[in-house]
Amino acid sequence: MTTKRLFPLLAASLLLASCALLPPSPSQNRAVLSLLDQANNQITAGQLDQAGASLERAMRIEPLNPALWQELAQVRIAQGRYQQAENMAAKSNALAEGNRSMREKNWRLIAEARRNQGDDKGAQAALDRASGK
Amino acid sequence: MQATGLRPSKRLLIKIVLAGLLLAASYTLYLDFAVRERFEGKRWELPAKVYARPLELYPGLKLTVTEMNAELTLLGYRETASPEEPGSYCWNNRTLDLVSRPFPFGDGFQESLSLRILFSGDRVQRLSDRTSKKPLPLVRLDPALIGGIYPDKKEDRVLVKLDQVSDPVLDALIAVEDRRFFSHCGIDLRGIGRAIVATSTGDSVQGGSTLTQQLVKNFYLSAERTLQRKLTEMVMALLLELHYDKLEILETYLNEVYLGQDGDRSINGFGLASRFFFAKPVSQLDLHEAALLVGMLKGPSYYNPRSNPQRALQRRNLVLRVMADEAFITEGMLIAAQAEPLGVVERQSRGTSPYPAFLNLVHRQLRQDYRDEDLRSEGLQIFTTFDPRVQRAAERALSRRLPQLEKARGIQPNSLQGALLVTSTQNAEVQAVVGGRDPRFEGFNRALDARRPIGSLIKPIIYLTALQYPERYTLMTRLDDSPLVLQQPGTKDWAPENYDQKFHGEVTLLESLSNSYNVSTVRLGLKLGVSKVMSNLKQFGLAREVPEYASSMLGATPLSPLEVTQIYQTIASGGFNAPLKAIREILTAEGKPLQRYPLVVEQVVEGAPTYLVTVAMQEVVRRGTASNLGSYLPSALEVAGKTGTTDNFRDSWFAGITGDHLAVAWVGRDDNQPTSLTGASGAMSVWGTMMADLNPEPLILPEPENVEQIWVDPVSGLRSGAGCRDAIKLPFVTGSAPTEFAPCSRPSVGKSIKGWFERIFDR
Repeated sequence: MTTKRLFPLLAASLLLASCALLPPSPSQNRAVLSLLDQANNQITAGQLDQAGASLERAMRIEPLNPALWQELAQVRIAQGRYQQAENMAAKSNALAEGNRSMREKNWRLIAEARRNQGDDKGAQAALDRASGK
Repeated sequence: MQATGLRPSKRLLIKIVLAGLLLAASYTLYLDFAVRERFEGKRWELPAKVYARPLELYPGLKLTVTEMNAELTLLGYRETASPEEPGSYCWNNRTLDLVSRPFPFGDGFQESLSLRILFSGDRVQRLSDRTSKKPLPLVRLDPALIGGIYPDKKEDRVLVKLDQVSDPVLDALIAVEDRRFFSHCGIDLRGIGRAIVATSTGDSVQGGSTLTQQLVKNFYLSAERTLQRKLTEMVMALLLELHYDKLEILETYLNEVYLGQDGDRSINGFGLASRFFFAKPVSQLDLHEAALLVGMLKGPSYYNPRSNPQRALQRRNLVLRVMADEAFITEGMLIAAQAEPLGVVERQSRGTSPYPAFLNLVHRQLRQDYRDEDLRSEGLQIFTTFDPRVQRAAERALSRRLPQLEKARGIQPNSLQGALLVTSTQNAEVQAVVGGRDPRFEGFNRALDARRPIGSLIKPIIYLTALQYPERYTLMTRLDDSPLVLQQPGTKDWAPENYDQKFHGEVTLLESLSNSYNVSTVRLGLKLGVSKVMSNLKQFGLAREVPEYASSMLGATPLSPLEVTQIYQTIASGGFNAPLKAIREILTAEGKPLQRYPLVVEQVVEGAPTYLVTVAMQEVVRRGTASNLGSYLPSALEVAGKTGTTDNFRDSWFAGITGDHLAVAWVGRDDNQPTSLTGASGAMSVWGTMMADLNPEPLILPEPENVEQIWVDPVSGLRSGAGCRDAIKLPFVTGSAPTEFAPCSRPSVGKSIKGWFERIFDR
């Protein structure tokens, strides 16, 4: 095999490898991405209510995107609204289908929400689900 | 009493004068108090303003050119050759140039943007900034005002500050109504004299009252015309000027005056009048527009530019003439302004709202958190979930389909009524409410208040309850549809029947739901326990206690379309209950966030049984009682639905779920008489007509973790394989699928297929 023929193959495999390392984009829709950006800026600025509202705007565009429900679960945790955090993460799980890393993170969020509500046993059960036990 | 002889009459006179002075002084003090109290306090009761959802534009959004135009009309945007002012637009083929209006949203101020929007097919293709030419990912337009919650007087106004009022308005007002406003002390003696002369010569342009007096008259006094009232008016005008400066009086005047009528709602103040007649803020009014509004003060209905354009034009031009005479404008400006057309925007009378049924729901949800008097006076800004595009489709479907049904089936004209509710499936936002065949009617709202037996709409709840026990029930479980007689002491025997008046022996659970068999359903419900099913109904969001009868298993329980929607919402969102929401956020009159209604969800039933019952409801549409939905919508949408028909065809129901909408339709008569319509022929045809208009997303169900897809033989309910004849793939909770295999018959063999049992005996 000549290097000429090898080069495209090499390039392709490098590209594939770098794709695999990058975290998957939470959406293909630029409107949704811009709202996610906005929500993140609002979280940084401590405007959690507004961040929640921005995420809800994004969810009106992509209601079945589990990443958005997960983001909202994280905002609810930051707001100390643990019951809703748990519910949002459960909803994200319901939409996640085969996305294992999404599910794992949701179970960790559920564990955190439960621990904050004093439910240590429930938190441990959620952590077990997160680690696939 | 002892008289002092000579001068009793003089003493009496002094007493009378003193008493009179005292009386006058205390009356003045009283007036002074009255003047200040009203001016210091809240000057107006401001109705709550109710807004539709703001339209979010982004590339890929499903939105036709027609729908965009309808939104622009609702927003009152103006079509112009080259849009530069906020609130104007222009089309070039399928490209829309638009200057958006600025809007103070709860999460920040939205500046006006100059946009170019390219439409392609039924979608927005590209969105860019006309100035920088850069593409934009997302733009939120200002929300349309869809109604108000009014004080009893139904006065409406949009308050403006003096510095927001364009100069021509002030110039015209001073020139025509009160030339010496800035120099007099509340009353204008020269003006009064001049008015008397002018009136006697029949050349009256200006009344004798100053702006201050006019304000006093509007603000504090009744409409009677007596000398005493005129004197009181003058005293109060003097007092007002004593306490407050000219600019504040002028600003109050501009906000107070009556300028027109819209149904039973009165248009007050220049802020609202400017929007009502010209669809723009008062800061943008041009000279000729300002002159028209000021001219109308003399007689808002006599000079109404919509009903009396010729009169209004003459009056406007007279006002312009006076402005030129008083040197507020040059002769050149006068000629140019007089040449302008009236420029009033077309607008249908709306009254308090064009969408009374939706407003009704908003008002009801608001009353849970607010006092009614605050809603009617504090000027709250209410941002709702109302989607005008969805509402239009819903209204059109109901008001077109009902007369068609009457005609096609020989039903008495105008006897059918209906209701329709549409929500978004995942976040439970109510997008549209239609309360009857005349959507403008402000009375009885059937969507919220008509409680009717729901018939077979109860069945998915019963089957879902069964499917919560995967070890006992799967979609292939066989149910008994043979004759049944229920005997209960104290009541008559009850023998439920099927719609086709036949019994079907053994049927699968899937078949029983998709064909809506009654007898097998009653048996199933009784086996599960009526109270178990009814408690699930509550779990799913029914907020009321309902009695538990065996007949509840066939939907004898009367519910409103809104209650049915709440219950089906939980199915549509995969087992998560979310309270139906019509309000997103409330701001104060000043734009400060007051209350947010964030999305709230709660998982009330596991994903798997909900998933299974939704798949069965897709079968209802594919092959069952709702199969005729295929004549309205492509089958690829995989709609999940359920029909409902009650005794003697009194109520016709359909509840259906697409990828983005849940909608519940009811058709029946107000006097509860039979209609001859089934759920499919009545309500479903309304539902289908509306959905076809909405171009919905296909229903693609996310598969729960603990569900597997297994090939089965639908007749025997036994396990089968991919290549076997008639085999279908169905979801089962992991481990619950049948383990016994049916013999596989290859379709290529081509011989007639018999039931598996028959085949056993054949062998």
